[in-house]
Amino acid sequence: MLSLKPLPPNHNPSLLHSLTPFTPPFPRTQTLKPSKHASPPSAIQSALQWNRKPELAGETPRVVVITSGKGGVGKTTTTANIGISLARLGFSVVAVDCDVGLRNLDLLLGLENRVNYTLVEVLNGDCRLDQALVRDKRWSNFELLCISKPRSKLPLGFGGKALVWLVDSLKQRPEGSPQFILIDCPAGIDAGFITAITPANEAVLVTTPDITSLRDADRVTGLLECDGIRDIKMIVNRVRTDMIKGEDMMSVLDVQEMLGLALLGAIPEDSEVIRSTNRGYPLVLNKPPTMAGLAFEQAAWRLVEQDSMQAVLVEEEPKRRGLFSFFGG
Amino acid sequence: MEMAALHLPSFSIQPSPPFPKHRVSLNTTQLMTEFVMFQCPSRRNPPKSGSLMIRRRLVRAVSDSGSSTEGAATDSPDENIVVTSDSANDSPPDSQDEKVLVTSESANDSPDSKPLVFVAKLQAAISPLSPFVSSMKIYAGSHSNVIWLSTATAFLLFVAVRVHIGVTRKSKHNRPGTVADLVRRGQLRSDRRGMYAQGISSLKYEDPFNNPYVKLGKSNSTVEMCGKVYKLSPVTLTPEEQAIHQRRRSRAYEWKRPTMFLKEGDSIPPDVDPDSVRWIPANHPFATTASDIDESMAQTNVYQKHGVPFRIKAEHEALQRKLGALQQDQKLNKFFIDSGNAKEYDRSLKLHPKSNEAVDQNPSGNQEGNSSPSSSNSSSSSFNSTSPSDEPQKL
Repeated sequence: MLSLKPLPPNHNPSLLHSLTPFTPPFPRTQTLKPSKHASPPSAIQSALQWNRKPELAGETPRVVVITSGKGGVGKTTTTANIGISLARLGFSVVAVDCDVGLRNLDLLLGLENRVNYTLVEVLNGDCRLDQALVRDKRWSNFELLCISKPRSKLPLGFGGKALVWLVDSLKQRPEGSPQFILIDCPAGIDAGFITAITPANEAVLVTTPDITSLRDADRVTGLLECDGIRDIKMIVNRVRTDMIKGEDMMSVLDVQEMLGLALLGAIPEDSEVIRSTNRGYPLVLNKPPTMAGLAFEQAAWRLVEQDSMQAVLVEEEPKRRGLFSFFGG
Repeated sequence: MEMAALHLPSFSIQPSPPFPKHRVSLNTTQLMTEFVMFQCPSRRNPPKSGSLMIRRRLVRAVSDSGSSTEGAATDSPDENIVVTSDSANDSPPDSQDEKVLVTSESANDSPDSKPLVFVAKLQAAISPLSPFVSSMKIYAGSHSNVIWLSTATAFLLFVAVRVHIGVTRKSKHNRPGTVADLVRRGQLRSDRRGMYAQGISSLKYEDPFNNPYVKLGKSNSTVEMCGKVYKLSPVTLTPEEQAIHQRRRSRAYEWKRPTMFLKEGDSIPPDVDPDSVRWIPANHPFATTASDIDESMAQTNVYQKHGVPFRIKAEHEALQRKLGALQQDQKLNKFFIDSGNAKEYDRSLKLHPKSNEAVDQNPSGNQEGNSSPSSSNSSSSSFNSTSPSDEPQKL
């Protein structure tokens, strides 16, 4: 779903300022490129943003864990698409698949044949960390690291520590620290979840507009806050505007009212997700872009700038097909 | 030198002559005909030739009217005839205030030239044009055919150009031995080649907030995407509501970060806080790990940036030691074995076949366990085994 920022009533069009009521918790210490517009560093062009790249906010590397609690809501899809979007924006990204035993992130990215070493082999001394990182040929600033192969086991006790060492080692590597480290968290709230959230500074909670997912998401949010992660944003996935319109599904605003989290994105239900999984080609790379792909790109943008959605799209009356509708009017 | 300017209204083909009804000479008729062609260039009469013609005809007309000298002014380089069309004074064709003036800088101009005579002559010259105009009307119907023909031609040209470009690109890719092959094989990064090394990428950034497939309504409150119309609904979550939710969750979910993972059924150590223990189901992948990997060694392995990984190096050194030990044994055997010793050795083999078979199996089993470095299944089990260098010594 597209996010557009409506102009406030007292908006002064001569000023370029952000409309976010939630000020970013971290000071902006780094920008990707100097903006062409003569605007203060903290300003974001209101309503529509174009002809500029997002300004990186927060301290790098930004370690983001993508979790949900409930399985099958789209964590891995979100990790893959947001990761590729960030890489396409020019940021260096390392995606870590922390699902011990059931890794899928390599499948979504089409890199399953190139995963030879995992973090387990690094811990055992079979390879170095840079040898275990799989660099995407399409975007050389995107790398993938799997925790373990399906039949291997991660030693008990220092699973979380291993990830902390991993993040620290990535910071110190010769080619420079990555700007984003995305951690694909496994489902549940057991040892895998605890391991995955250990090094994270912020979290993206993926949920769907159904009550079961919301209850699990609420619990996960509570656990994250207990663990000291305060910057938690929400992505509502698999939104069906037609069902929302018919009041068969909770709206995105209803979800937000239940969970009380800032909204990073609302991803519409899209059959192209399955096709992209089959191809091993992330959705955001489709041309022309799909609605879900656009929504992922916008979510990635907001993640970079530590921003959140100010308005959501609600379906209106159906489009009236005119005589020249096939011209795209 | 008398100057006369020829002013004509902005030209449109009209059946009625736009000029006063005066008699004009034949030369003037020719002059007007070609001037018509000049003003309204058609496919039959390109303007260039018309402009040259009008220049020559004007020269002749002026020379004819002003002087009796023949041929003197023909294509004379000294004469510059200027024909201007006063578009600022455009008037409807039916108006009577036309002015026809010919500007001439020729030195041969006679002071006796009469521009008004020209007007009359021009008007008389217009009348023969009416058949021409009517013939143009006849051909107006064929204009639509011409338009279609031109459209089809343009389309065919477009398709041909695109096909040509496509063929060119394909031939570029299919040409063997180019740098594209290196990129295809993964030996060269496509985004760091040549001009792309400076960070300029052929894949331009696409703004997700300014996508052409998303159309905004005039009031900026409606969005059209994929055939559906949406309206913007602002988010209503306030910071106060967020704080309320956070307090609710802190009361509902009290959780301590676990520092110890125990399998179900294990006893809790006495000095460990029960709240910090995390129970792992017996069938969980974490619970099936039996090995105790050295934490400091694992940390060192993660931080290693260069050189051979620890395990590979250890196995390589172990293999080298083993080979050295085997060579030493062979040398010793060759050195010390004589007939007497050989017989005793044979007896020992015959008397204790089982013990010798057990000795033979053990080193082979350890070698298999140590020679499969990439197998993750054996990684945890083999890591706990003693180093290979100890095996021959034990034997």
